[in-house]
Amino acid sequence: MAEDMSIESYLAAGGVLTNPSNVPPRYRAELMKLMTTFVDSELAGAAGFADIINAGPGIKERIAAAKIVLEKTDNADRVLKIMGEFGVDGNRYANHHPWTARLERDADIGASRTEQDMRLAVFNYPLAGWADAVVMNLLMGRAVAVQMAEFSMVSYQPLAEAFRAIAPIEARHAELAEEGLQKLLETEDKATLQASVDYWWPRVAASFGSATSAKAESLKGMGLRKTANADLKARWGAETKAVLENLGMTAG
Amino acid sequence: MARFHDLEVTDIQKTIRDAVVVTLKPVNGAAEAFDFTQGQYLTFRQDFDGDELRRSYSICAGKDDGILQVGIKRVDGGTFSTWANEDLKIGDTVQAMPPMGGFFTALDAGNEKNYLGFAGGSGITPVLSILKTTLAAEPNSTFTLVYANKGVNTIMFREELEDLKNTYMGRFNVIHILETDAQEIDLFTGLVTEDKCAQLFATGWIDIGSVDTAFICGPEPMMLGIAAALRTGGLTDAQIKFELFASSQPGRAKRKAVSKNAASGANQASATITLDGSTQAIEMPKDTTILDAALDNKMDAPFACKAGVCSTCRCRVLEGEVEMVSNHALEDYEVEKGYVLSCQSYPVTDNVVVDFDQ
Repeated sequence: MAEDMSIESYLAAGGVLTNPSNVPPRYRAELMKLMTTFVDSELAGAAGFADIINAGPGIKERIAAAKIVLEKTDNADRVLKIMGEFGVDGNRYANHHPWTARLERDADIGASRTEQDMRLAVFNYPLAGWADAVVMNLLMGRAVAVQMAEFSMVSYQPLAEAFRAIAPIEARHAELAEEGLQKLLETEDKATLQASVDYWWPRVAASFGSATSAKAESLKGMGLRKTANADLKARWGAETKAVLENLGMTAG
Repeated sequence: MARFHDLEVTDIQKTIRDAVVVTLKPVNGAAEAFDFTQGQYLTFRQDFDGDELRRSYSICAGKDDGILQVGIKRVDGGTFSTWANEDLKIGDTVQAMPPMGGFFTALDAGNEKNYLGFAGGSGITPVLSILKTTLAAEPNSTFTLVYANKGVNTIMFREELEDLKNTYMGRFNVIHILETDAQEIDLFTGLVTEDKCAQLFATGWIDIGSVDTAFICGPEPMMLGIAAALRTGGLTDAQIKFELFASSQPGRAKRKAVSKNAASGANQASATITLDGSTQAIEMPKDTTILDAALDNKMDAPFACKAGVCSTCRCRVLEGEVEMVSNHALEDYEVEKGYVLSCQSYPVTDNVVVDFDQ
């Protein structure tokens, strides 16, 4: 039997890896980065949302926000468990950083990460009240849906499976946000809500990364990416624009 | 973080000339930690002349067998597998982490599913665990195994599979594909390639349209070919489960060539290492990594790959200078701040102060 295929050519041919002992060095580093980015973003997102639960105008809204906090934390845990198989101490990891920490609302950090964690830049901005949180959750929820569809195809099977399980849960969060925004539009000033859209739109858009990523090709070769950042961003932009226009608002 | 536990070797059976089935019993109350799911694997560690090797092997026992068993086939030049096949004895104690891996689907007694398994050589171990457990747990499900081997005498668990065919008459079927030994049916000779699978589907040996889930465990080219055929046959990625154990496992830190005799005087360094809130001052040779020095001094320093890639062993250099020979995990800004991978870092100055807690 021909057993002399290198892991690199196996991956380039669309092969999948299934446990830490298979994983070549560069792949491992990129996979760990992908996982820490997801975990840090979920933990930071959940922590930011936790603070907003009590700002919910009614009990239904507070239940929805609490559910989102619970499920995002749970989703972080699923991926943290996979990191655990690489030797990461999940308990220590989950507590090693103040996930509620935020920068100023007008901080200009582009797509850069802070030095202490791998959360997407967008999660470094603070929420300005309930309505702002709903808008952020809608825009980011749609972005997560696009990213989950992409990452459900990663070549590390345990992570692909985790993302396939996480995708519908995250999709529901975006639906809750859409319902929430619809309700807010009945009572709140539309200009204020539009201002939140305008604030979050470029920041969420930046979370797709730069259009010219030097790493894109090598990530593709490893099966960790399939679609270019720019294409994912365009898909998100088109889908989210349609949702907003349906609600009588405009994209940022 | 997963920890290593002691396991007693209670039985060793040769299944073919160069493969053993090792039965293990957790000791010191660790039995609960080893309550596995079918298809999972154990990661062992063993010291060879001062070098720790870690190797993963799939559990081959079914859930209902009530025992913990792994199959270990000897790989040419494989230190661990040769040791397991030639030196391991009943009564020995080995160390392993609790079962890991997701090479399984949830079972339900009410399921009426058709499972298809592909195994190449020793790739049979997790598939055997899955099929035994599934056939016992789901009385209305079927399992077809396509099992690739070089020849008749290299088929692991051949008799056990025959017994299972009799026990689960009509629900369990095995198709042996042999690379070199001719069989009555030409289709069953050769390699399990994409073409071979397509022929098995086209000739009715396998009803691909009725398959709910497929499991594949074997070498890389075989996995690619089978997966391609399954996708062509209409299965989605979510219906195809893979398990791959490549023989080329990640490399190890290369030590700088320094004579053992020179490990004194100019070659000695003093290291102050902080870990989990406590600080220890040690003397260490400069041809030893910070991580190994910490481990040698009974400090429970975190590490996983020892290859400079996972960043689990990251620590920060507060004083002195170290040389990091390989770095695949830390970003430039982290290095600028003094972070190093301790498994790749050797002292350069006579004094170094490092902190694992920062």
